[in-house]
Amino acid sequence: MTGAGVLTGMSPTVRRVALEPFVRPPEEELPGRATWYASTCRQCPAGCGILVRVINGRARKIEGNPAHPLNRGKLCARGQAGLQVLYNPDRLQNAVRQSGGRGSRQFKPIQWTEAIDQLSSAFKSLGAPSRVAFLGGLMSDHLLTLVSGFLKALGAPPPVLFDLHTALEGRAEATDMARRWFGDSQAQGVPLPLYDIARAQVVFSFGANLLETWMSPVAQGRDYGLMRQGQAGGRGLLVQFEPRLSATAASADEWIPVKPGTEGLIALGLGRIIVEDNLGQVGSHSEHAHLYRNVSVTDVADASGVSVETLRRLANAFAAADHSVAIPGGYLAGLGNGSQTMDAVLALNVLMRRLGREGGVFLPHQVPAEPFASSASVSSFAQVTDLIERLKAGQVDILLIHGCNPLYELPQWTGIAEAIRRVPLVISFSSCVDETAVLADLVLPDHTYLEGWGYQVVSPGADRPAVSGQQPVVRPLYDTRATGDVMLALAARIGGQVAQALPWSDEVAFLEQNSAQLLGTSSGIYDAHTPAGFWSLWRQHGGWWTEKPLRDEPEAIGTPTGPLQVSPAVFAGDAQQHPFHLIPYPSLALSDGRGANLPWLQEMPDPMTTASWNTWVELNPATARSLQVDNNDVVKVVSPYGELQAPVVVYPGIRPDAVAIPIGQGHRDYGRFAQGRGSNPLALLAPPSEQARGSWLPWGATRVRIERTGRKQELARVESLDGAGREKLR
Amino acid sequence: MTGRRSFVIALVATALLVGTAYWRIHRASEVSAASDQPIPFSHRIHAQAGVQCLFCHSSALRSDVAGIPSVQKCMGCHQTIAADRESVKILADYWQRQEPIHWQPVNTMPDFVFFSHQPHLGAGLSCETCHGNVGQMDVARQQTNMDMGWCLDCHLKQPQEKTARLADCLLCHK
Repeated sequence: MTGAGVLTGMSPTVRRVALEPFVRPPEEELPGRATWYASTCRQCPAGCGILVRVINGRARKIEGNPAHPLNRGKLCARGQAGLQVLYNPDRLQNAVRQSGGRGSRQFKPIQWTEAIDQLSSAFKSLGAPSRVAFLGGLMSDHLLTLVSGFLKALGAPPPVLFDLHTALEGRAEATDMARRWFGDSQAQGVPLPLYDIARAQVVFSFGANLLETWMSPVAQGRDYGLMRQGQAGGRGLLVQFEPRLSATAASADEWIPVKPGTEGLIALGLGRIIVEDNLGQVGSHSEHAHLYRNVSVTDVADASGVSVETLRRLANAFAAADHSVAIPGGYLAGLGNGSQTMDAVLALNVLMRRLGREGGVFLPHQVPAEPFASSASVSSFAQVTDLIERLKAGQVDILLIHGCNPLYELPQWTGIAEAIRRVPLVISFSSCVDETAVLADLVLPDHTYLEGWGYQVVSPGADRPAVSGQQPVVRPLYDTRATGDVMLALAARIGGQVAQALPWSDEVAFLEQNSAQLLGTSSGIYDAHTPAGFWSLWRQHGGWWTEKPLRDEPEAIGTPTGPLQVSPAVFAGDAQQHPFHLIPYPSLALSDGRGANLPWLQEMPDPMTTASWNTWVELNPATARSLQVDNNDVVKVVSPYGELQAPVVVYPGIRPDAVAIPIGQGHRDYGRFAQGRGSNPLALLAPPSEQARGSWLPWGATRVRIERTGRKQELARVESLDGAGREKLR
Repeated sequence: MTGRRSFVIALVATALLVGTAYWRIHRASEVSAASDQPIPFSHRIHAQAGVQCLFCHSSALRSDVAGIPSVQKCMGCHQTIAADRESVKILADYWQRQEPIHWQPVNTMPDFVFFSHQPHLGAGLSCETCHGNVGQMDVARQQTNMDMGWCLDCHLKQPQEKTARLADCLLCHK
């Protein structure tokens, strides 16, 4: 033993390594000296600013950009893991076609010219422009603008945007909510509301896992810190309402384990108490009393399992604070009564006059230039199912897919696989072979975000208008091509109106031209005399933002004239047959599964269970006892629509009538670190009920039952919650 | 009996350790032998042709490392100069394939030393002071073992107001 230790200690101080100088050195490269590039993180839609340390042409470390108004130098684990997106061994190194037919997984390299030839001849022989469809997910705003322009000039329907991450954070529903409350009837896009957590004294979060994956977790994490440090004159209070104790709930002062589907009722109950008892310092509540006309506090208490006393105490705390805010979170969007629930939560802010007040609710101010006027809003689930119907009906000849993996991210009952199989030509722009790319004819890999150009309008999160700029920090490692350039090349080949609408030689020319629209804006952090000078400063800073904070005060012009309603949530599955509410939740590390191919993120222990590298089923200790199962016992989770098997984690932080399963694992493809690991809980989800009217994916509205299998599977966990298992280590 | 056995074991262990240590150190010094370069490169020929050290190792003035020239830089001259020589043909093949050349390091420092060329050149040292007369060598070799005593030997001979800083551990062991 000692010898081994000494030998290890004496491992070579001089490593035998070869020196590998460049074939062609990059510009400004000085061997041994780090160059830092300002760019934008693309691991989630938030758009944090990053600085990437590059030595000898290799990206070595990603940090938050301290000057960026969104994340202010901070960066989350997923952002740090961006290097593994770049250096992933399972990346496609060139354009490929499936030589053995779609689904064969036999990929043969093809030349880019050949791929673009094939694409352009397919477009030229297209019967009608409506027979093209573009399904996008997490796309850079510049690419979305290019693609939208391309489709519009062609006469094709606009791109459909869907990815599981934004579905889980309820982005589409939050946009709808903002439009209902703050938009007039002509409103095109009302931006997502901004909750001023940093300056609030009391924050009521209804299922917003604001320190994990919801919206802009890095900015919210910073705001949470400021709130705790008493920005508003004392340590702020956070109350989290949700059936499962998330890492955010664990950081809250109080966790209210709500019965799933009654979150909206609780919000109504709180509002009713505030109106009835005339709480708070805002004068009369008569203006909003009608909203709560039909609410009975005792009924709310009965339905939700939260006592009248607790409701009164919370209502008093919320109303007594000068700065309090109620946040409708992503979890609500998964419920059948999601939109009503979100309305009920937002109404608390209206009732307490928190709109446009410090520590309250704001709307982001628009970036003062046309190309950045509105950020991409995701499509509703109804638009996604419409597209699937079009595909199934054979109405689409060319399907282009970028930035999403619908085969993994949509439940089977949507029929997405069958629908894609009906399309004669399917093109994927994925940088590695994911489940959807397996069904594509051609995979034309885009650069990863550390190699590519782009920009993103930050919405929501920052206290001022901001555009995050993205630039290559290294030369592309492989023979990949920017999808923006592929679309421009294609437009030039098609000619006519399409070529006129997209006249740029490459996407950088397009970006340079767009950035110059902000030239001469006096409110910006910099300005220049020439477009070239401005473009240079843009890249140096990593985008553009205003010098001073600038937010808009929302006007609640859409406040309902009648009483607010929250109908009982409908759950798929009979309560006798399927006694448990299923709570699938986005994994902090893997998000909606896009991080599953990055070993750093696979290795990262879940903050609440410390489990990693797998899927697990969280059960309350009482539930586990009654089912006679314990940690690491594999159980079968059965819903009316599917089933999966996974080991149990006995978790005190969940209601006894609910089970929770993290999303992110269960990939069939997507590289060596992702595939064949765990299960995808989306297989259990039920289709939208009448209540949801198909407008969103009701990912929290399914009931399940648990069956024992008698098998055991040891989960990789850093520690157990009760200390049990430690004796094994001795 | 037990004591004697322990003594023998201790003796064997010590021998093993000393042997391993010797082997390790010996192997480390072997690194400098520089016999297995991918191209038989001669510093002598280049120096005699009047090429300055800093023409190829151009970052020594501005960076921690002196740098090894890119294939592009080599080809800048060898497109035309001595293009028919065998060793230059090997270089041209690398350029043709756009492949980097894996050179073996000649002068090495342990990982825990943060050495930088820049201040040394800034202080007016010539390359030969540490690297020897490389311009006379066909195969470049490390001339000194570059250990701490050797570094300090020079650092302590500097003007008195500088020696405190130059002898500080944290100067090189950060």
